[in-house]
Amino acid sequence: MRLRFLRAPHVALLCCSLLAGPSLLGAQTPRDTVIGTPTVPLAPGRVAPSVRGIAIDERIAQDAGVRVGDTLRIAAEAGTTGEPVVVDALVRRSADPSEVARSEYRVRLHLDHLQRLTNAIDRVDRFAVAVRPEAGPSAVDSLLAGVNHVAFGFRAHASRDVAVESSRTFQVVDRFHRAIGGITIVASAVFLLCILLLKVEERRRAVAALRLAGLSRRTVALSVIAEAAVVAVLGSGVGAAIGWVATLAVNAHYQRVFRTPLTFALLTPRIALFAVSLSLVLGIVAGALAAWRLVRTPPLTLLGR
Amino acid sequence: MRTTLAWAALRRHPMRTLLAIFGLAIAAALLIDMVMLATGMRASFRSLLTSQGYQLRVTPKGTLPFDTEASVGGASALVASLRTHPDIDRVSPSLGTTVQVSIGDRATSAFALGTTAAVQGEYLLQGGREAAVDTVLREVVVNAAFLERLGATLGDTLDVGTERSAQLRQAGRRAQVVLVGVVRFLYVPPGLPAMAAPLPALQQFLGAAGRDRISLAMASVRVDGRDAEAQLARIEAVRQWIETEHPRVTAISTETAIVQVEERLAYFRQLAFILGALSLVIGVLLVTTLVSLSVNERLGELAVLRAIGVPQAGVLQQIMLEGLMLGLAGITLGLGLGLVTARWLNTILRDFPGLPADLDFFVWSPEAAWKALGMLLIASTVAGAIPAWRAARVRVAQALREEAVA
Repeated sequence: MRLRFLRAPHVALLCCSLLAGPSLLGAQTPRDTVIGTPTVPLAPGRVAPSVRGIAIDERIAQDAGVRVGDTLRIAAEAGTTGEPVVVDALVRRSADPSEVARSEYRVRLHLDHLQRLTNAIDRVDRFAVAVRPEAGPSAVDSLLAGVNHVAFGFRAHASRDVAVESSRTFQVVDRFHRAIGGITIVASAVFLLCILLLKVEERRRAVAALRLAGLSRRTVALSVIAEAAVVAVLGSGVGAAIGWVATLAVNAHYQRVFRTPLTFALLTPRIALFAVSLSLVLGIVAGALAAWRLVRTPPLTLLGR
Repeated sequence: MRTTLAWAALRRHPMRTLLAIFGLAIAAALLIDMVMLATGMRASFRSLLTSQGYQLRVTPKGTLPFDTEASVGGASALVASLRTHPDIDRVSPSLGTTVQVSIGDRATSAFALGTTAAVQGEYLLQGGREAAVDTVLREVVVNAAFLERLGATLGDTLDVGTERSAQLRQAGRRAQVVLVGVVRFLYVPPGLPAMAAPLPALQQFLGAAGRDRISLAMASVRVDGRDAEAQLARIEAVRQWIETEHPRVTAISTETAIVQVEERLAYFRQLAFILGALSLVIGVLLVTTLVSLSVNERLGELAVLRAIGVPQAGVLQQIMLEGLMLGLAGITLGLGLGLVTARWLNTILRDFPGLPADLDFFVWSPEAAWKALGMLLIASTVAGAIPAWRAARVRVAQALREEAVA
């Protein structure tokens, strides 16, 4: 297939790839790390060796005990003889959230090799086109418009649009997390409010004694609020520490389960600050509510007289 | 008497009691939601997979149904072989591919499915009629997303094409088809335009790429009066027979498919477990704190009760009754709250791309929900046991003296 219009002056790199089934990928995705000897692209005009080289997932290597240099047989369809290939490299997958739940193996071949193997001669699934940085963002739009104007049977998409589409899963997960987070915050807030109110109310007699000793309502109220605030801050500090330990456990567990370097849980200073601030606000509100009730009640009533 | 006293103790501090009930209600709601999430996906997926009576899916080796564009050749022989097995009741072969469809100046890509109408388990007819059995692509049934995308209606004639050549600027294979029915696909994500046609017609239309090929064959294993375990064993035996006889394919039972989907969505189950456990802990802590403080405040009163002859067990029961009442009120409120929030959360998760429209994440499972709520009720009642035990063992004389001094 000759796509001359993609050879525009501002096109820096043209990469073709062909996907065959879940595990065969022609061409190489640059995000992944190649361990061992990388496969060398076939120079123009050179004849491919009789036994071609492939790159395999680090996962297959671990699970099947395959090493670089081993000879395997590869076929496009199960039950057929296939052809021998040599493992040239191992590939470690990048920390890509979109692939975290997919546990299938992947094998990487040179494009021409996969085209021949799958009888998809001169066919590709996609082209990745890199625009020269100096061309500016408008070059992407003009290239898109140009390609789509003449396109027949295919369509060009900007990487940003593809990213939006492929991140839909994470948008849903994000919305779900926010919803669950909201419910958890309401539950924690009610719990905190309840505990602090009860804690302050427990000190009815002490407050009555302070009032009878001559302390003003304002002083008593401020001391009650300060106490509630200190308890809230200390509690949230301990909670943040427990949360941090929990993130370590969550990451260790899921990284092992999904065999990925992806970070699943992250406690950022912003999140910790939010938790402490929210607790502080709730503590002050609870303290103020309880203090208001206490200072409005006559001291002798507080003492039960 | 004890119930009256417990009720009076709770009524004495209405704000405190209301807050505790509200807190318990939220904990119960979260628990209900998490139980629904943990059990719902499995129940919903099982119901979806077994809705048409097929317990086995036969796919190209190493793939899940329609997870890739892989297909298996020699389909006629494969299907005929499956039909010879005495335990296999019926077989539904299908072939999936992507085609370009246009009507006037509107065009779209669509998922095309070749099926056998008499045995298909992929869709439900909602309007019009089934496409007539044919070996040439002439009639199709489509889903609502297809109609919406192309602005087409029943009876319209569409252009269907495949193998488009960018150089020749024409489809390698073209056909004109009449839209004769509207269907709801069970396993196709909502919003994806999809059409179905007779399997031989689609195979013929695709030429060499479709000749005697299928993407999936669903098999129904005969059900008799045996118990569930014997039935599962029979399905497993048929599954193993298929894989032994036909090494080019993978046979997936409903159980295996559920396990595989659960592996992909394990995160949600584990999240449900953690948050469910957390809500139980919150409920227990709330009741323990509340009852402890209440007991501390009323030590004198409880000492008086003991002094006038109320036995230890009586005091213990009265205080545990307070926890039980709080738990009952909180759980009743939490049940309603939980069902409303579950519906909202389900709406969010149903937006997951690529999942069938009929798959639910939150499904009401009475047995699991009552078990969880019962656990919360027992936990909240038992949570009051420690302060109640302390109150019941109070030294009467010392407590009365301290009360008098205070």
